[in-house]
Amino acid sequence: MTIAVTAWLGAMPGFMAPLLLAALGLLLCERAGVLNLGVEGVMALGAMVGAAMSLAGWSPWAAMGAGALGGLAVSLPFMVAVIVFRAPQISAGLALAAIALGASAALGRGASHKPFPGLENMTWGGDWAALPVVGRMLFQQDAVVYLTLILAGLMALWLMRTRAGLRLRAVGEDPATADASGVDVQLYQFGAVAVGSLLIGLAGAYLSVGGSNIWTEGMVAGRGWIALALVVFAQWSPIRAIGGAVLFGGAEALIPRLQAMGVEVPVYLLSMLPYALTIGVLVLMALSKRARQAEPGFLGRAYIRQDR
Amino acid sequence: MLESVTLERRSGAGPVLNAASFVGALALGVALSLAVLVAAGVPTKALFEELVVQVFLSPAGLARTVTMATPMMFGALAAALCLRLKFWNIGIEGQLWLGAICATAVALYDIGGPLRLPLMMVAAMVGGALWILPSVLLKTWLGVSEVIVTLLMSNIAYLLLQHLLFGAFGDPTFNFPTSPVFDDAERLARFGWGDVNAGVALALVAVAVAALTLGATRFGFAARFVGDNPRAALALGFPALRVLLVSVLAGGAMAGLAGGVIVAGTEFRLTQAVGLNMTFNGIVIAALARNTPAWIPVWAVFIAGLNVAGASLKVFYGVSEGIVLVAQGVILLALVTGTFVTTYRVRFARRGLA
Amino acid sequence: MALRIGGASKSFSDHKVLDAVDFDLAAGEVHALLGENGAGKSTLMNILSGIYTADAGRIEIDGAPVSVSGPAAAVALGIGMVHQHFKLVQPFTGRENLHLAASGLPVVPPRATVDAQISELVIRSGLDVALDVPVARLSVAEQQRIEILKTLLLGARILVLDEPTAVLTDAEADGLLSLVRDLAAQGHAIIFITHKLREVISAGDRVSVLRRGRMVLANRAVEDVTRDDLSSAMIGGQDVAVTKRAGARSGADLLSVSGATVMDGGATFVSGANLTVRAGEIHGLAGVGGNGQRELAEAVLGMRPLADGRVVLEGHDLKAASVAARRGVGMRYIPADRSADALASNVTLADNLAATAVRTGALGRGLVWPGRIRAHAGSLIEAFGIAGASGGARRPVRLLSGGNAQKVILAREIDGDARLIIAHSPTRGLDVAACAYVHDRLIEAASRGAGVLLISEDLEEILALSDRISVISRGRIASTADGRPDRAQIGDLMLGHA
Repeated sequence: MTIAVTAWLGAMPGFMAPLLLAALGLLLCERAGVLNLGVEGVMALGAMVGAAMSLAGWSPWAAMGAGALGGLAVSLPFMVAVIVFRAPQISAGLALAAIALGASAALGRGASHKPFPGLENMTWGGDWAALPVVGRMLFQQDAVVYLTLILAGLMALWLMRTRAGLRLRAVGEDPATADASGVDVQLYQFGAVAVGSLLIGLAGAYLSVGGSNIWTEGMVAGRGWIALALVVFAQWSPIRAIGGAVLFGGAEALIPRLQAMGVEVPVYLLSMLPYALTIGVLVLMALSKRARQAEPGFLGRAYIRQDR
Repeated sequence: MLESVTLERRSGAGPVLNAASFVGALALGVALSLAVLVAAGVPTKALFEELVVQVFLSPAGLARTVTMATPMMFGALAAALCLRLKFWNIGIEGQLWLGAICATAVALYDIGGPLRLPLMMVAAMVGGALWILPSVLLKTWLGVSEVIVTLLMSNIAYLLLQHLLFGAFGDPTFNFPTSPVFDDAERLARFGWGDVNAGVALALVAVAVAALTLGATRFGFAARFVGDNPRAALALGFPALRVLLVSVLAGGAMAGLAGGVIVAGTEFRLTQAVGLNMTFNGIVIAALARNTPAWIPVWAVFIAGLNVAGASLKVFYGVSEGIVLVAQGVILLALVTGTFVTTYRVRFARRGLA
Repeated sequence: MALRIGGASKSFSDHKVLDAVDFDLAAGEVHALLGENGAGKSTLMNILSGIYTADAGRIEIDGAPVSVSGPAAAVALGIGMVHQHFKLVQPFTGRENLHLAASGLPVVPPRATVDAQISELVIRSGLDVALDVPVARLSVAEQQRIEILKTLLLGARILVLDEPTAVLTDAEADGLLSLVRDLAAQGHAIIFITHKLREVISAGDRVSVLRRGRMVLANRAVEDVTRDDLSSAMIGGQDVAVTKRAGARSGADLLSVSGATVMDGGATFVSGANLTVRAGEIHGLAGVGGNGQRELAEAVLGMRPLADGRVVLEGHDLKAASVAARRGVGMRYIPADRSADALASNVTLADNLAATAVRTGALGRGLVWPGRIRAHAGSLIEAFGIAGASGGARRPVRLLSGGNAQKVILAREIDGDARLIIAHSPTRGLDVAACAYVHDRLIEAASRGAGVLLISEDLEEILALSDRISVISRGRIASTADGRPDRAQIGDLMLGHA
């Protein structure tokens, strides 16, 4: 039993990291008022680019960087449509998802089903790494896991404690007031969606380069949508997103463990948990006045100065 | 960044500008899509043959296109009926899967005797409507965004589909996650023209009923007001809540029927691949038809043709089917960006004057 | 003088909104500015805060001529506006809002400096308010204090408070008035816009009154003017006889509203209002905007629930009736905001014209063919002379001009079955010809035996059309015993001290 729990906890961070990365990317977009439904496709593209570059002999870090840049590149038309031309964000996001999913399938055919060396786990902490149950979870993970957690903390600090973070939040909450205070609304949105797309692309690249060390079409398998739910679940807070990602990633990691142990579990029903929990959180948020304010007030809407 | 340019909302764009922006955006989207196809390795000379002749002008190709367009018409109705009331249905696939599951349940458990086939269709509609119900209730009661809820419900539906295919609905004689094959009495009639089946008649009837209801009944009249200005609808005494509920549930029912028509009309069993991408297809077709039911068959055939062509491009030129998805995405992005022209007016401020 | 405005004029498309207005303001004083809605107060203040540029005139600050070229320039000149609608990011704390505002300064001070300035300002100004909870959880009065802090933080020495007490309770208003006195005592120059005489007397040093773009009473010490001076300056001097409508007659009570109370989100908009409208009568309800007119109209129509009271129309007790049921017994509504509350702007002209007839089933109970709707529209377009419909009744109604859009609503609402017509500011934003047209139609409807409840901020309109007049002020309806108050009496009732 201890061994199984150790293995489960040890595998959990690897499931958590891509969800958290993608959620942080989305969180940044949404804090600036941009709803990005392209996330599933952008992750797929990042995964494909990461794999293709790994197969081309790039180092795992360079390959993941390329995946992140791929995410940014494919998002550019979306950004122009939504931020400059004020296109409806929902349809534009779905179009981005289609373009990126299709492009990853079309461009990645040569990279499909070919294993490559991926990211190594770090081993650190000396004797601590031998701790029972939690040693592996805490001290034997790859660097992306640790960096992602640090990033979540930094993002929370940046959003809540810096002037630029304050301005970004103002853009998503009330662009008219932000504009009146001299904030360049479109510039902040561009920046947020660009960095967000990089993170979402990176999340995808981590799936192939850091996780499975192989790329197949459809390997993102709904994780983008889970990340979208995760942002709501975390009520747009990077710190709460860590908790949500641990929960959702832990559930995802649990299922193969249970199967390996020969436990008969309704795998698919268990997998519904993140979605069902998120709907529950949405209902609770709607019932609580304080929590309802968590959603950026201008999310998904188009602002022009005339509205000021 | 764009200090010297200011935007104003237009009070109105005339029909000429409206039509021009639509046609212009569509032309741009199609041109970019063709460029993508050429870049992917399709010879320029083959484009017309593959995209027009093979899918619309040859009887066999047209049959494939019409077969594929059948559930797409339902999917587009599911998007349009909701969108006319500004309700974003991002979970058409979920409703479709529930429809397919309910229809399959009626077939597998041999319910309904001689009325089994009609019952399957009714069950499909009920399943789809029930699956969209939580999102519309949460929206009207608590103001929860339907975008996220329909999306989440869709993911839950997919997991339910797999749960059933690997369990109660699985075919024990077969290693793949599919249901047993339906009996003849559980299949929609075919016309001896490819796989084209009675589903297409159902779809055209649904389109006609939707067009008539929206265009020539008091309900449809009220829906125009509720969709455009709920406050004015309220002041005029139209039942805004009821209109929204009925329209959205009808949308869900149409998505469910798409699932019913796929399992009973072409697949004859439930599989994991049923109705994939229908949310996106439905929204693209609804956008092309500008949420007008009467235009849906035309654009469903257009999008179906693109998909059928994609399948043959894969065989002949080794082009991935992903390219079709890219093309549809490009067209949709061009269309929604094109609304800029009709919604806003650009003014260039002269510097130095305030 | 801290501020002097001389000869300020401003026109919007031939309509002179400000006509050679003079105004001055000294450091350490509170200068009250009175005027009805549309008198030009907002335009004058928008010129001062750089939103509009005056066509003529000059602005001097501390004796030196200045150019207020935009909102940023106004801030740099030390002019601070507190609008009626606060410009605060609701989920942000007060402190975050202040930091956001400070980040718009030309030279952005470090965060620590801003925090120190805030603390110092709070102590010095006495603006005591919770700064570390989200603004959305503060009362309106507290949010207003943050708005004032914001202007002070941005260095305002000249403060403009635009009807600051309109949104406050009496106790809150008293708190604000003493705060305003304190700020003046610290050397700020304050323009205090209000409708309420009590506030002029208790907080003002000097007072000016604007009417129809002219300063009719300028820069007078508060001690030197009487209440009557102010209300006659505001409303207009000469007293015209009420009711000029020829052949006006009135029958039995058609509509009877008794003890009506309307609440929303804890606030009371209408309290214990009594009102009757007789058949064949135009009953004018005068009052400054935002005193519960809209809420009353919507409650009578059934769009809002009545917390208390009754609405009876020709013997039908409508307290619990739906909008559809009320319209079924002949209630009709011309709302103040055409595009928000009456028209579906992207829906065709024909449909907008047919909305009443379709709902009642007059154009068919089962199928309603577009052809019948268009034919119906065609006859109304002709009867009401709706111009700009040349593109046909199939075009969206948003393409029509304001006057024609209002004709669409009149054509739809004043149909043969109309018994009671609630017309709220029916001529707002219309040109002279369109106004006359609207008035003629309302008179015509009354002479056919319908009752008209005319709610308007335009006193001339009320006086010209009404058989009887009531005044609404802070959600209470009052009138004289005979229902025919003269100008002075209306002015007293509007100022809320009758």
